Amino acid sequence: MRKSIVILFVVLVCVSPVKSQIVNKIPLSIRQTGYNIEATLDPSSKTVTGIMHAFWVNKSTDVVPDIQLHLYMNAFRNNKTTMNIESGGLSGYKDADSGWIDIKSFTDRYGKDLTSGMQFISPDDGNLQDLTVLKVTLPQAVKPGDTVFIKVNFETRLPGKIKRTGYKDDFFFVAQWFPKFGVYEPVGMRYSTKGAWNCHQFHANSEFYSNHSVYDVKITVPKEYVVGTGGMLISGVNPDANSKNKTLIYRAEDIVDFAWTAWPGYAVFTDQWEHVKITLLLPKERKDQVERQFKAVKNALEYFTRNVGKYPWPYLTIVDPPAKGNGAGGMEYTTIFTSESFTGVPAFYHFPEMVTIHEFGHAYFMGILASNEFEEPWLDEGVNSFWEERIMDHYYGESEGMLDLPWLKIADKSMSRLSYANSKSRQAVSNNEYSWNYPHGTYGMMSYNKTATWLYTLMGIIGEETTNEVFREYYKKWAFRHPSGDDFVNIVNEVVKKKYGDKFGSDMNWFFSQTLYGTGICDYKVANFYNRKLYQIDKKTTEIDSLSKKVEVADSLYKSVVELERLGEVMLPVDVLVHFKNGQEVVESWDGKSRVKDFTYTGKRMIDWVKIDPEFKIRMDVNYINNSMTDNPDNVPVRRITDKLISFMQFFISFISL
Amino acid sequence: MKIIHSIKSTVLRTIYLWKGALIIWFSSLLLVSMLAIPIKGALNSGFGKSMITEKLAGGLNFEVFADLGAAFKSIMSFFSVGLFMAILVGFILNAFFTGGVFERLKESSGKFSAGEFFRASAKNFWSFLVISLIISLIILVLAFLIIGIPLSIVGQSDSSPEGALFQTGLIVLSIFSLLLTVLLLVADYARAWQVTMDRNVCFKAIGFGFSQTFKTFLSSFPLMIILLVVQLSFGWLVLKILPGIRPATGAGVFLLFLLSQILFFLKIMLKIWRYGSVTVLMAVNSQEKAPEQTKDFR
Repeated sequence: MRKSIVILFVVLVCVSPVKSQIVNKIPLSIRQTGYNIEATLDPSSKTVTGIMHAFWVNKSTDVVPDIQLHLYMNAFRNNKTTMNIESGGLSGYKDADSGWIDIKSFTDRYGKDLTSGMQFISPDDGNLQDLTVLKVTLPQAVKPGDTVFIKVNFETRLPGKIKRTGYKDDFFFVAQWFPKFGVYEPVGMRYSTKGAWNCHQFHANSEFYSNHSVYDVKITVPKEYVVGTGGMLISGVNPDANSKNKTLIYRAEDIVDFAWTAWPGYAVFTDQWEHVKITLLLPKERKDQVERQFKAVKNALEYFTRNVGKYPWPYLTIVDPPAKGNGAGGMEYTTIFTSESFTGVPAFYHFPEMVTIHEFGHAYFMGILASNEFEEPWLDEGVNSFWEERIMDHYYGESEGMLDLPWLKIADKSMSRLSYANSKSRQAVSNNEYSWNYPHGTYGMMSYNKTATWLYTLMGIIGEETTNEVFREYYKKWAFRHPSGDDFVNIVNEVVKKKYGDKFGSDMNWFFSQTLYGTGICDYKVANFYNRKLYQIDKKTTEIDSLSKKVEVADSLYKSVVELERLGEVMLPVDVLVHFKNGQEVVESWDGKSRVKDFTYTGKRMIDWVKIDPEFKIRMDVNYINNSMTDNPDNVPVRRITDKLISFMQFFISFISL
Repeated sequence: MKIIHSIKSTVLRTIYLWKGALIIWFSSLLLVSMLAIPIKGALNSGFGKSMITEKLAGGLNFEVFADLGAAFKSIMSFFSVGLFMAILVGFILNAFFTGGVFERLKESSGKFSAGEFFRASAKNFWSFLVISLIISLIILVLAFLIIGIPLSIVGQSDSSPEGALFQTGLIVLSIFSLLLTVLLLVADYARAWQVTMDRNVCFKAIGFGFSQTFKTFLSSFPLMIILLVVQLSFGWLVLKILPGIRPATGAGVFLLFLLSQILFFLKIMLKIWRYGSVTVLMAVNSQEKAPEQTKDFR
């Protein structure tokens, strides 16, 4: 009996995922880990009970004595976990809201009990109350090339206050729900100097890091529930009339996480984009958002495919959770992600599209290019924000990507710069920080917004097509692997060198040392300009001005000087546009290194105005106002705004007075 | 029939009051200019000789304003305090001038005298201010009870069904609009009646307002609905026209200013028309009723 179980186990776990190609014709990743899970949702107790068979292959040359697994759900166990301490505690916390994962049994492939080797560790902060990382010392160390098989019976209780995962009434979003391998990093992988598990605790400001895996998941739920997952439906077992439950079998290949949702209130819509079948789950009452959601995700698919690389899976699931489940909104799990919208959201407000495009983008930055979100959050959130903003402004308007009202338009890219440039803590820390170490609440601003802002700046310097080429190369080289920040920088250096030679120096490290790894700000200023008459000849001549009109000008000689200053620490090359009163223009290139820079012109022309970075390529510049100067500033817009303000106040006061 | 008569017969009375409307318009312009002109100065000073204002050609641009840094925060702080003060003073000014308007609307013809207008405004000021304050207070309390509380309950409830906030919002706004219509009638009747008195009897006037509103509900309510629909349609038109206009030249901005002020002047005239229609309807209704009943209120 025991022997037959072992054989069945090996067949199920090992042979099935590796040999069978159900989703992708050929494996996209090396599939170092794999999971076969039978899960049953009990809506009354809010638990998922599971039997998990999983494997990890030791691809390193190290002899590894243990395995480490994430038990993320334990972050919701009490108020003393690292996640809850970092969140400042859960306000109104009740035991009934807590979540956890209990290991009922833990055996090896032969059914040998491994629980005696189990030990909770807290590699990040030593918090003994935090039970989110489990280390299991194996009876025998894993030799290079060997595979560890485990069987775990577990029970997961979902938290009552949804924070990415949890439940509300009959709505369930089930994520971070099963024991999940950390990533074993041998020497040379990312920043690893000695082979070790990279398995961080669950933090408030952090996401995840995993190997690309194969998932075979069998989910049993009450039959009235509608289920959406990150896998492809292989079969749905129709319940017989007497059964209260149904069982659905899913398979997912080469993804880094498997999440699912179940709720009786979902309406399901499907659409197709090239090879991708898109499934949308949203509340039945929210049908007005269906078209917007499909359009947004198709836009993203098109843009990413054109500029980065192919979306490799043949399916995709979008979940737009109900209002009561909005804690699950705006989260990504590669082939399933959650958006955020609500009934009646007006067409001028592109927030639902923004969330959809952002979360879809994580299929690339985190899903395909599986960076370590714990340690380098900028590499997924920041890079992804940069692409989200490009896509939003491309499809919904360069100036109105986020908001499109007749009197107020906001581009999506403006949001990042506004957040970064106006943050009091913009210089508190660099981007190169572990996610939970960002001080003064700067995690979001730094990892999302500053990164997107300096990526726009990089694009301004090297050009849009070269930027796309960088990402195409990054995709080509690192897809289904684990790139680090340095790997991304190296790709930039290679592509820029190939395209521009030494135009920007031997590499672009000077850029990253200031932006990614530095804390300085960028601020260039036109300090002054003047035209000093050297001498005048009485004779007048006729010239043709820029409007092809003949004008009579005094034939005087001027010394015209532009005075520029660098106020910030960041030194970036900038263009300087000098416009002369006779209509001529000169574009100067300034390496931006010196604190001050003068450009002097001698001749008959006088300077009319000067602009540093006239095309606003350097979006890191924290103050655009001082980037230009003219003797005749255009006050018309301010007058217009003031006049409108006057009318607005008049009407408003009259409206509220009886 | 009474409704049509009230509306039609007030048109002339309203037109006769154009000089009064001009006074109200001018005082309003003066008031808000005291707030807007310093803001304009601060913006011009903040932008200095910069050409960044080019980015404002397409309308408001948050990035540009945010780059003003501390100056922008000061402007916003000044604007918030200034707006509060302007609302307060505007409210008092409105109470003041409404006295003159209602006094003048009693008469169907006659020459407008600015002196008389100000005298009547001063005479009725305190009672009109009290009436405005009390009715405004009632409106605020009702807004809190009818809109604020239900929306907060639905909004904060995790168990609310999908779209509940939206639907609740629509329902409570509809109810509130109907009650607001009634309260506007009360305020207008109260003020129309107050100007017929020689002394300040504002509380009695409010009582009369309520009584008259409900006694003549079938004629008063439709009248107010018609008047408000006209006013709201006008407001909608203004919102459609003004924000979209973005002149690029000084002359264009001046024309926009003229247009917006003309529209605001028309808004004042529409309000006077409302006051007049209610005044006429009150007179018509009181003629129909027994004279002693009116006396009771006195």
